[in-house]
Amino acid sequence: MTKPARFFRNAGCGWLCIDKGVIRAVWVMIAFLPLFSCTAERQPCLTPKTASLNIKCVHFSTDTATTTVDTALPMAVFGALTAKGTQSVIYKGASSAFTISLSPVADSCQWLVTTDSLNFPFDTLGFYYERKLKFLSNACGYTYFYALTSVTTTHNNIDSVIITNPSVTNDVNTKQLKIYIHPSF
Amino acid sequence: MLTQSSLKYIFILLFSFLLTGAVDATAQQDTVVAADTVAIADSAVRKPELTTHQLVVGFDIAGPLRNALDASRYGYEIAADYYLHKELYLAAEAGWGGCKAAYTDLKYTTTNAFLRLGFNKVLIARENSKDWGGLLLGLRLGAASVGRSVADYMVTDSLWGGSAGTLPAKNLGAYWVEVTAGVRVELYKGLLAGWNVRGKFLLNTKQLEELAPLNISGYGRGDKNSVFDINFYLSYAIRWGR
Repeated sequence: MTKPARFFRNAGCGWLCIDKGVIRAVWVMIAFLPLFSCTAERQPCLTPKTASLNIKCVHFSTDTATTTVDTALPMAVFGALTAKGTQSVIYKGASSAFTISLSPVADSCQWLVTTDSLNFPFDTLGFYYERKLKFLSNACGYTYFYALTSVTTTHNNIDSVIITNPSVTNDVNTKQLKIYIHPSF
Repeated sequence: MLTQSSLKYIFILLFSFLLTGAVDATAQQDTVVAADTVAIADSAVRKPELTTHQLVVGFDIAGPLRNALDASRYGYEIAADYYLHKELYLAAEAGWGGCKAAYTDLKYTTTNAFLRLGFNKVLIARENSKDWGGLLLGLRLGAASVGRSVADYMVTDSLWGGSAGTLPAKNLGAYWVEVTAGVRVELYKGLLAGWNVRGKFLLNTKQLEELAPLNISGYGRGDKNSVFDINFYLSYAIRWGR
């Protein structure tokens, strides 16, 4: 009677006799060896490391309107008041959405804003917040997330500001601040 | 709820079964037998008369290989299983290891010991009472005790400037479940070789949020909620009569 074939047949085989089953097993094991291609290299950081404060600029279309419309600023300038001086970013092209960052070395910071690089004076936005140390991953290390407590503003071109979401993280899709621009800017 | 990672591991396990099944089918093509003869042989196969106990003790030979390839981590693992009944094995694996993160913005070391307990089930019918190889499917519950050194970190920001800080040393626990699949073959009179693929799912992710270890020996990357792993075991079987 013939026995049914098995995956690993080794019956009747001596120490030096390696049958087909063992060869197959070794082959399958070798096929997995590429999985060991790990090295001491640090994994690449694939998530944003800096928490972004995302701003939407709006205005009321009329004095009696209850809903807002997006306000495209023609060439907005945002300038961070840092210890090294004012670091400015000029947005070339009309936009109503902007992204800035908060200082990880203090519990408050200031940004200058103007609606157009040719339109002065600037408004000053003051941000007050709590810093929260956040471990992202071993690839990215640590960063700071923030909880906004208040935002102040001057009123040259800005009417008012509203915190729509106090949590400032590395999520680039969540808007934290709505800036109401004077319609006549 | 099945996540994408869970589906990936299930796919890998199914692929492993299909792979071994395909090889088995190829082997069977070499044997031409009558259908009634096969039926008799199968009925004999499914009712083995086991008269021996078996305790298998092994060592993960992939550990030293990984240690040589990756200087940031090390780990060693031993494994044992004991035959209970009906192709069911009680399985235990234990080991120790550590890792070192030495980056410009993050520096710490960890050491840990781990233990995994569970069961293996042999899926292919035993050919005879001396046939101890086969395809194994298993389930494990794993736990690790992790000791982390003081951690130095630095947050860099090109606009505002960076800041540095220190986290105190801490002892952590990690718990996970594993689904395993693998094959084992007897090379020579009690000397066994085999491999296991493992899908691991971390249970206490919250506790590791402050600083997940670069590597938890026995589990894998501490900052991943699910990981894939593989072990190659060289083992010795101790058998004695019932």
